[in-house]
Amino acid sequence: MILVYSVGMDLAAIPSPVELIELPATQIALAELVLLAVAGGLLGAFVVLRRLAFFSHAVGTATFPGLVVADATGFSATVAGLCVAVGYAGGVERASHTGRAPGDTATGLLLVAALAGGIILASDVFESGAAVDRLLFGTAIGLDGGDLALSGVAALLAVAGTVLLGRAWTAGGFDSVSAPLLGVPARRADLLLLLLVALSAVAALPAVGALLVTSIFVVPAAVARLFTRDMRGLLLWSMAVAAAQGTLGLYLSIWLDVPPGPAVAVLGAGVYALCATGIGARSRLPGAEAA
Amino acid sequence: MAPPPAVAAHGLSLGYGAGPALEGVHFEAAAGTTLCVLGPNGGGKTTLFRALIGDLRPLAGDVHVAGRPAYLAQTERTRLDFPVSALDVALMGSLASGRWWLPPRRAERHAALAALERVGLAAQADTLFGELSGGQRRRALLARALTQDAAVLLLDEPFAGVDPASAELMTAVFDELRSEGRTLLVSTHDVESARSFDLVLCLNGLQVAFGAPGESLGREVLETTYGSDLVILEEAPERPVRAITVQHHEH
Repeated sequence: MILVYSVGMDLAAIPSPVELIELPATQIALAELVLLAVAGGLLGAFVVLRRLAFFSHAVGTATFPGLVVADATGFSATVAGLCVAVGYAGGVERASHTGRAPGDTATGLLLVAALAGGIILASDVFESGAAVDRLLFGTAIGLDGGDLALSGVAALLAVAGTVLLGRAWTAGGFDSVSAPLLGVPARRADLLLLLLVALSAVAALPAVGALLVTSIFVVPAAVARLFTRDMRGLLLWSMAVAAAQGTLGLYLSIWLDVPPGPAVAVLGAGVYALCATGIGARSRLPGAEAA
Repeated sequence: MAPPPAVAAHGLSLGYGAGPALEGVHFEAAAGTTLCVLGPNGGGKTTLFRALIGDLRPLAGDVHVAGRPAYLAQTERTRLDFPVSALDVALMGSLASGRWWLPPRRAERHAALAALERVGLAAQADTLFGELSGGQRRRALLARALTQDAAVLLLDEPFAGVDPASAELMTAVFDELRSEGRTLLVSTHDVESARSFDLVLCLNGLQVAFGAPGESLGREVLETTYGSDLVILEEAPERPVRAITVQHHEH
């Protein structure tokens, strides 16, 4: 008990892990995060390798103004998010092949504009109030069958895309000049990758919110990238880390009574920092080079 | 009727927006020909290759390449941080078979391994591409070109920055490809090695000369091509001019 008081927590309040699979609401949340782990883990591996991390963040955040309007007017948030995300993905793909890629500066400006526009709409136009938190950071409680179905579709398409287009995505990312000479439809494959990321980002919005979508794409793959040396290992470990991160993040969100999006994101970032620091320290040990 | 050329350019003019960087290019190379592209840095060799692979649209004229060529870029356009081994890179050549949406077949894996063996990288098949030396990386990319089994190979300064052992291995492979009847376009600064090719194309912002080395590599052509970068080593009647070039790199 001394320990309990010293850290200011009540051990009796720590929920049993069984609660994750006992309560209907957490069952749905868990299933949602596992499905998102499949989509986010597989596509995230290519997002990290293809240096699309900022894109995956931008495509989620860009949906925010549309979600505010949809929430206030009763329009389908999924359709509004999909329209914005797919439009943004198509624009990025087109610009990258006309030598006018948006670049980090333009993407950063878009993020600011999307967030500012969304906040103005939410506060001054529609007076969305508490809904803003849900749109930005998501909520595990309140997910329904429709959310699960969309995530299931995203997971299925991510698996199909990885199986059928994985070689093209790898060859195109490794050497974008030579890929078309190998007969790979690199441009169409790249467009499909961006569209799949956009769809998965929209599927992740209810659970993790517009601002934290990238946590399911980037963080698990970045952690897996630290330990793997081949594509197959990267894909499998990326999914496994995403599933573990989602499950533990959900457990933490129930325990600490916080939205699951921030819990998943903070947990993932912490795990990445620990792993990267550990690997860095290990490589500096005497004899590490010889090993 | 003569068969169509394997590689050709007609009235070709190329540039990047501010006027042509290369113009007046007109040549044809029949299937099975080896063609050496000579020229100084900035002379238009890589620009020509970019047009031949379809990466640069001509300002005027047209280019023709039979089938899909294999391309070995001058500068490293590859990503060294990709988790792909030398074998994975060689296997990418099998994508050219048209089954890019399916996993590689056993025969394709064997072909990739044989290509690695041919370029002396069999022992490094499982080594990550980014962990290979510069010369080994060029050889792995050459293995990819071999697996691709292309009739036309475009090799942009394949020996630039390559260690002597790798250069020797690559030269042997080029000789084999030549004996197999494939069409090779190789850009280089080495005037002496150019004499072993069937044809020579000299560029310096425009086409200076095109033809057999014995006819094209005279003192006047070489001086027009390289200007003050040319150093004449030996010149005697009835014998070809022996010369080297001094390359200036701007950093």
